[in-house]
Amino acid sequence: MRCDLRKPTEPIPAASSQFVSAASLRTRLVWFDKLRWGAAAGVLGITLIAGLGLKAPLETRGLLLTGAVLVILNTVYTVRNWRFPAVDLGIELRLVKVQMVGDLLTLTILLNLSGGVENPLLFLYIIHVIIASLLFKGREIFQIAWLAIILFTAEVLGEYLGILPHHHLPVAGAAGHQLPFILMTLGSFWLVILFSAYIGALIMKHNRAIKDELVARQADLLGEDRAKTDFFRFVTHEIKNPVNTAQSGVETALELGGEDLSPSVRDVLERSVSRLKQATVIVRDLADLTRGGILKEENLALVDCNQLVAGVVDAHKDAAARAGLTMSMLLPDPPVTLTTIESMLETIVTNLVGNAIRYNREGGRVSVRLVDTGKRVRLVVEDEGIGIPRDEQQAIFDEFYRSTAARDKTNLGTGLGLSIVKKFVTALGGFIEVESAVGKGSTFTVTLPRKSRRKRRPMF
Amino acid sequence: MAEQTILVIDDDIDLVEIIRVTLEKNGYRVIDAQTGDRGLALALTENPDLILLDVMMGKVDEGFQVAYQLRSSDITAETPILMLTAVTDRTGFEFDPKRDKDFLPVDEFLEKPIGPRTLLDMVRKHLPTSV
Repeated sequence: MRCDLRKPTEPIPAASSQFVSAASLRTRLVWFDKLRWGAAAGVLGITLIAGLGLKAPLETRGLLLTGAVLVILNTVYTVRNWRFPAVDLGIELRLVKVQMVGDLLTLTILLNLSGGVENPLLFLYIIHVIIASLLFKGREIFQIAWLAIILFTAEVLGEYLGILPHHHLPVAGAAGHQLPFILMTLGSFWLVILFSAYIGALIMKHNRAIKDELVARQADLLGEDRAKTDFFRFVTHEIKNPVNTAQSGVETALELGGEDLSPSVRDVLERSVSRLKQATVIVRDLADLTRGGILKEENLALVDCNQLVAGVVDAHKDAAARAGLTMSMLLPDPPVTLTTIESMLETIVTNLVGNAIRYNREGGRVSVRLVDTGKRVRLVVEDEGIGIPRDEQQAIFDEFYRSTAARDKTNLGTGLGLSIVKKFVTALGGFIEVESAVGKGSTFTVTLPRKSRRKRRPMF
Repeated sequence: MAEQTILVIDDDIDLVEIIRVTLEKNGYRVIDAQTGDRGLALALTENPDLILLDVMMGKVDEGFQVAYQLRSSDITAETPILMLTAVTDRTGFEFDPKRDKDFLPVDEFLEKPIGPRTLLDMVRKHLPTSV
């Protein structure tokens, strides 16, 4: 199923990603009820015809009793599935398990009453295990498989050791020459073969549909991402010149006016400059965003991280002092080097340290730590600021998102800093984590590989 | 001493006028051109004392082409060139003033937005004989 690139994609329905939902499971349960009716009809029909009609020496009473129990049980199942809507997947799955155990027990009893190891219907265990593998996951499938093994082994060994009675299957005597036995064997063989093929085909069809869907969605996402990048680039390009010129103009007016400007005019112009500067920052951030998605091998170089981090921290000393903050820095010895893109790494550190200062509290602390873990390098930037509520902790990496507390604190942020950090960190093959408590502070941890490289292939 | 002439080559006429105000108020003569070709022609006829040159005009690297041609002419080979850049120009055209300055034939990169103070400081730095 291909989707139009322009259309917003709908979320993939949970049913197809989980394979089983309460509703889809119910459809299958109804289907199993029908299979069970078929089985009950088969048991009762064959017993009546062979045992009562043809007077074959069968354990007729036992078989009819088991068939009757099957009918009663299945009536309960059918009425339940018909009257009560499927709501909870857990309850449905538990019920399936109970039914599955019941069915295996019934099958074992039926086999015991009709020849045990002589009866070709023992193939029907396979069908149960296949159904179990459709409905359950991992261990549960093997629980059912082992139950089948244990039940049938117990039945066969029980008969052999004389613990269980053996009921001879009348037609199994001279197997190759008994048409009813041949028909039974062929019937059970056909059933299992066709059922396996049907189920296999069903599963693969389903899997391929999911895979196609995923491939299509991934293409959609990539397309959207490219469209967004193009849009940002366009906006950046079109806005930067007017904004730059306007800022130069207002600054020139302030300069030219000098002492002649009335305080109110000066105030208005100064406010304008400050807002234009903010626009310039947004434009620069947007430019960073459009630049940073792709890692070009030729831009990789060996970078001394100690030096880079120390440089960034040093550049923020004044800002920290003005805000009354204490900054601390812990660097590894010997200094750690990374094969990376220096400008991107510098932006990452700058944005994180800048945020730690901007969103701190009066007299708070900013701690920058660089840790060499051997294969990777970890950068930890910790502040004692406003913190980020748990439900906003993922959104802060979205473009233009600013947490409520951040907006209360200052209107100078662009909402792009952290999305740039995340984009750059990802492009460099690393990941970023955040730990935060409201009112206590935030800790951002960036983990980068020793050597950044271009990812060989996308997932599909 | 005769007043010094500064040639501003930029396709943003508003910016040219803003620069002109600052420079003229400080005793410079300002001439301007809105395209690289016109700027080149004007440079060769007027032989300005300093050239302010925008990187991105019609084409992404027009400013660089102009700079190379200015350097290859006897008249302007030694004229100080201050190149105006916007940070975001790097999106279309990969260059890094910090990294590439050694082989780019200009004397200074000025990052837009450029304020009057910085402009004057830079002009004075490269025209030391000015008042």
